Amino acid sequence: MRTGWCVSLLLPLAALPMEARAHAEDQQQDLSSLSIEELAQLPVRSASKQEEPLSTAPTSLYVITDSDIARSNGTTLTEVLRQAPNLHVEKLSATQSTVAARGFAGFETSNKLLVLIDGRSVYSTLHSGVFWELHSPLLEDLQQIEVVSGPGGTLYGPNAVNGVINIISKDASDTLGALARGTVGANERTAGARYGFKLGDSGAMRVYADYYDREDTPTATGFGPAIDESIRGWQAGFRADLGNDASHFTLQGDAFDNKTVIVPGEGNHGYNLLGRWTGDIADNASVQFQGYYDYYQRRSILTTDRLETVDFEGQLNLHSGPHSLVGGVGLRTTRDLFLNDLNAFQLDPKHDRLWIGNGFLQDRFALSKQVSVIAGLKLEGSSFSGLQVLPNLRLAWQPNDRTLFWTSVSQAVRTPSRIDRDLTEPTFLAKAPDFQSEKLVALEAGYRGQPGRNTSLSVSLYFNRYEDLRSFKFIGNPFPLQLGNELQGNEYGVEAWATQQITPWWRLSAGANLLGRNFTVKAGGTDLSGAASIGRDPSYQLQLRSQISLPQGLMLDAGLRAVDDLPNPHVDGYVEADARLAWRINDAVELYIAGDNLLHATHVESNDVQRTALIERNISFGTRLRF
Amino acid sequence: MRLRSLRVALGALAAIWTLAAVPAFAQASEVAVKAAFIPKFIRYVDFPAAAQPAADQPYYLCVIGHDPFGPLLDRAAASEVIDGHPVALRRFVSADVPAVAGCHIAFVAGAGGPATATMLDALRRQPTLTITDERTGRPRGMIHFAVIDGRVRFHIDQAAAAQRGIVISSRLLALAVDVKQ
Repeated sequence: MRTGWCVSLLLPLAALPMEARAHAEDQQQDLSSLSIEELAQLPVRSASKQEEPLSTAPTSLYVITDSDIARSNGTTLTEVLRQAPNLHVEKLSATQSTVAARGFAGFETSNKLLVLIDGRSVYSTLHSGVFWELHSPLLEDLQQIEVVSGPGGTLYGPNAVNGVINIISKDASDTLGALARGTVGANERTAGARYGFKLGDSGAMRVYADYYDREDTPTATGFGPAIDESIRGWQAGFRADLGNDASHFTLQGDAFDNKTVIVPGEGNHGYNLLGRWTGDIADNASVQFQGYYDYYQRRSILTTDRLETVDFEGQLNLHSGPHSLVGGVGLRTTRDLFLNDLNAFQLDPKHDRLWIGNGFLQDRFALSKQVSVIAGLKLEGSSFSGLQVLPNLRLAWQPNDRTLFWTSVSQAVRTPSRIDRDLTEPTFLAKAPDFQSEKLVALEAGYRGQPGRNTSLSVSLYFNRYEDLRSFKFIGNPFPLQLGNELQGNEYGVEAWATQQITPWWRLSAGANLLGRNFTVKAGGTDLSGAASIGRDPSYQLQLRSQISLPQGLMLDAGLRAVDDLPNPHVDGYVEADARLAWRINDAVELYIAGDNLLHATHVESNDVQRTALIERNISFGTRLRF
Repeated sequence: MRLRSLRVALGALAAIWTLAAVPAFAQASEVAVKAAFIPKFIRYVDFPAAAQPAADQPYYLCVIGHDPFGPLLDRAAASEVIDGHPVALRRFVSADVPAVAGCHIAFVAGAGGPATATMLDALRRQPTLTITDERTGRPRGMIHFAVIDGRVRFHIDQAAAAQRGIVISSRLLALAVDVKQ
């Protein structure tokens, strides 16, 4: 039944964009012959896509732009994400990093984020976290990264509990020509290349490849086994875009392979293919259909984890009078395999198929020119958890163009992962077939605006109430332990950032992220894990960044960040700095020197006893060539 | 009395014209209309003498940041010649490139409002007619596209243009949704 539905939706995709494209081209010549008065009277088919301008989005949203990415030292997604003041990034080793929003930091505990790469969800159904080492798009091809902290509203799919990271690559028509990049540092070498070309008159395509070779860093004293965490691998892919804003088709795919050295022959590989069509169906309505297939296999320290995902989504946007309606459905099915030859922990069953579905409807209703109410309802469920109804109510007040005040109350859930339900160990851990979704009710309020001509400022406050968080309980024979939902607690915090354009060539940004938390075991419940599932968060994180654009194509960037201690086991907080000096000799050649962690020879960012390595000072040289 | 009859006559003309035009352009896309507008703006503004192109030089039309138009704008620019000057199209990823100093008119769209505002700030020191679109955020250039009643219109910031010595013709001002003096 469901397959039939998907097929019938996909069929029109092939036919429509071509037709619309030909039409638009024929007309352009005629439009140019019209006078400005005639143009002003011409009825247009409105591109009613709900691309909300940032200034009106009533959430805690930070955007890392393509120019921020181009000026960043980072050679991985996680390093680039450090620029978002509403994220906390911990680099564990040469290979692994974790990213958290609003707490729950840690390799296994940061499991409440939705991460999308061009609409493709990349959190793992094994543990609901993200294996960042599986994703290395060409950073030069990214358009922007939107980082939402908080439940992110109705519009995002499953797992958007504490935040959404939406990584968006450029339209292929914005990446024409050739680009090559190379970097070399003491512990890391990277190389990337892309070639973009036109496909007919209104289409374009690019192909790219990215290579990296990262060497092990020393093991941190007192933490974990001394293992070699080196990784070497590549990712390559393509993206083709056809049509215009009124009817746009995108087809893209990637493949990757990398090798790790802890156990010879281990590593990860995978591939994906995604198609998306966006089109106007009426003056005030547009639709989007998207489908993708994704496969990867991880082999890491004698474990094998394989995941195959098929996902279909459809979305309708409708504007009518003061209403802006968005509705959508998504259906995803995954087939997985988990084998463990390292220890006795197994998933039972070893293979499984999950169905994850969501549906949503949201109305943005303008009560007046200044005040809008956004009411949304999201349905979310999986073959593990049944269906849950999640309401979300937001209020936006824009007294003027430069000021937005917003407040919201929303519910979100993290549906159980395979580990939550099916992890077992023959001598002490029983399966947890009754493991429930972890639940959140979030209250938020914020301000975003431009208090001065050259100043922008955002402040968000939140109070989160969590229920049914993962715990370990004692159940006696035959197995002593089982995962349960007996932790609960409150989290509250402030996220703030500001940018001051001091002169046209000098921009200063600052960010602060303060977090307080208070978790307890539910009355009558137990947790033998010492609240392992809540992660370990610094209570503050501060950052300061300066971007200077000098004449003759010189650019100087510098950043400073301070992160508080981590508790249990204790790890000292740290202050670190990075800097980058780039010289764009001409449009074709850019040379740069980048320094990371300049203040100390080594520091530690995580207290994960199994994975933490020393993060070293690093100087690297790079070049970008464009033809 | 006379004014009213003039209005009625104009209204009737507009209605006839609209009816005639609708079948031919029923599918006109918003971007295509905006692309057609942009090079035409040059004709209806006067740049300060120092900024006018030399005898055999083109007017430079720049797209800074995101380009929603693609080949639509190339074609529209190619079909425009103003007093013997062709319109040359240039695209820039950002406004902090020295070459933007040569832009006579610039469509500016950053990734999000603050980015657009930064780009506009960078152009504020030179006599460039800046154009923005409400679809890409709130920051406004001298001309700011809006879609009203299913038609592409624009707001004009005459004060900002005047500060840079750019004079906007009354014919263009008459089409604006509103004019900031």
